[in-house]
Amino acid sequence: MSTILEQKCPCCGGAVEFNTGAQKLKCPYCDTEFDITAMPEETANQVEQINWNSQGAQWGAGETYGMSVYACNSCGGEIVADSTTGATTCPYCGNQVVMKGQFSGALKPDLVIPFKLDKKAAKEALKKHISSKKFVPKSFLADNRLEEIKGVYVPHWLFSCDAIGNANYKATKVKKWSDENYEYTETSYFDIYRSGNIGFDNIPVDGSTKMPDDLMESVEPFDLSQAVDFNTAYLAGYLADKYDVTAEESMPRANERIRQSIIDSFRETVKGYDEVENQGANMNVANGIYKYALYPVWLLNTKWNGENFTFAMNGQTGKFVGNIPTDKKAVTKASLLLGAGIGAVIYGLMWLIELL
Amino acid sequence: MTKKIFAIIIAALICVSFVFSASAYTQQYVIDYADKLSQGEIEELDLFAEKLESAYGVTVLFCITEGTGDVTADEFSSGTYSDHTDNENGIIFVNDDWNKSYSVFTSGSAEEILTDAAVDSMIDAYDSNDSYYGGIYACYELAEEYLENGYSGGYVYDGEPLNNDTDTTGASEEKDGVSIIWLPVSLLIGLLIGFLIINGIASKNKSVKMQENATVYTRPGSMVITGSADNFLYNNIERREKPKPTENKNN
Repeated sequence: MSTILEQKCPCCGGAVEFNTGAQKLKCPYCDTEFDITAMPEETANQVEQINWNSQGAQWGAGETYGMSVYACNSCGGEIVADSTTGATTCPYCGNQVVMKGQFSGALKPDLVIPFKLDKKAAKEALKKHISSKKFVPKSFLADNRLEEIKGVYVPHWLFSCDAIGNANYKATKVKKWSDENYEYTETSYFDIYRSGNIGFDNIPVDGSTKMPDDLMESVEPFDLSQAVDFNTAYLAGYLADKYDVTAEESMPRANERIRQSIIDSFRETVKGYDEVENQGANMNVANGIYKYALYPVWLLNTKWNGENFTFAMNGQTGKFVGNIPTDKKAVTKASLLLGAGIGAVIYGLMWLIELL
Repeated sequence: MTKKIFAIIIAALICVSFVFSASAYTQQYVIDYADKLSQGEIEELDLFAEKLESAYGVTVLFCITEGTGDVTADEFSSGTYSDHTDNENGIIFVNDDWNKSYSVFTSGSAEEILTDAAVDSMIDAYDSNDSYYGGIYACYELAEEYLENGYSGGYVYDGEPLNNDTDTTGASEEKDGVSIIWLPVSLLIGLLIGFLIINGIASKNKSVKMQENATVYTRPGSMVITGSADNFLYNNIERREKPKPTENKNN
């Protein structure tokens, strides 16, 4: 059985949580607040660590594949979690626990962006998000129930590099003129070439297979200037995963985004043409380095008509994303009504022009 | 003293010469090679034509001649037009009084407003009048009416009475209106536009997508362009015939 870590209140011994408003640790039992620095890793490490032995053969070898078993330091309850889980809540006593082995040694994140927004803000953002959308099924608005809301520190790889690249574009210029008898259109074709360097800092790539990549990229960007050195104390009160996608496996996605950035950035320097189309690009990366960081994300799950809907909110900036179902009947009806109205206006205008 | 008087006389002469030269440089709109009009009539008609030019930017010239010499009637009319004005928008009526024929040359936007039908009606008005002066005046009056309608209301005379004209019973002339065939066409266009607008709004319900690039993570000021080339490959010229302009040749 693996070891876990609980941040204990120095006053009452209760398990403390990270408070987003105060950006401090707070004891929910005696309301004592204290800085993260008052709870250094060394102190945390002094917390009793117990290696529990298996008490029986409750779990077969196949059953425990991909899972880890921990013992809660507060109540002794057995916590079964995914092998990548880094922080969670004890299902028996509700205390926040951190699986410290997930963030030690080479697995220790370089940086963490602490949560700035709390659960209440996430719930309000969900309401605002849904109410701001059009053509949402009425039953979704009425029956949609928030199944789960959790603050998760999502592992990300941050890639920085100097990219050297070149890109080719096909561009056209169109010139029109006329004389007494003819209208002329001259289309001139150009081959455009650009090469150069661009520096990139901290391009994030989701390092967790549990998190949908599109959802994580949708809540970008995060402000890394507010990141701090990793301390397990920041994880108190939230869920956290360790990475299960390595930096090497994440590089292709970073390279793909860098390549598209080169195409788009160099495109901005191609001016004076009516149309510009990319024909290809090459790139090399120099001085590439990567870091391991935990980004704060609120995940909200709702259920409607047996289907799960997952929303995500950037725990730092509040950017909220999530797909909402569309009422197809309402869309069709609105399209027909609007279309008929526009058609009538067009026909009326034709009459008006004719009469004038 | 003598020098002063001499200087005053010279100055007065210079002023007088300026006045004369200014009055001599008036635009000639009615060219009477056949001596059919008096000087007073020409000046009055010139004033009318000048008013048309300043109001609509269209020069309306009228020339009475007896024969066109070695050139054709068309060459004569275009040549006379270019000899008497630089305005690209205009028209000249040439009445060959010897051969009892007419030729007309139109240029620029005048072609669009003074259509064949308009020119015919103006020549009819000129013909039906007993005097040359009266004929040209009637012609100019019609030109003013067509230009006014053409520029202010976009209505071009096509042989039918103008919008504000009334028939013998005093009832307004009714137009055919827009064909009913345009109703389904309008509805189809409306439905297409409506479908695009509504689906554009509905598509905002999907907010989860992969990022296309990483430009937001570009290090500020780090982009350096080291190579740049814009090479011309080839060009292609397409020529499309314009709708046929109105040709006014009334012989």
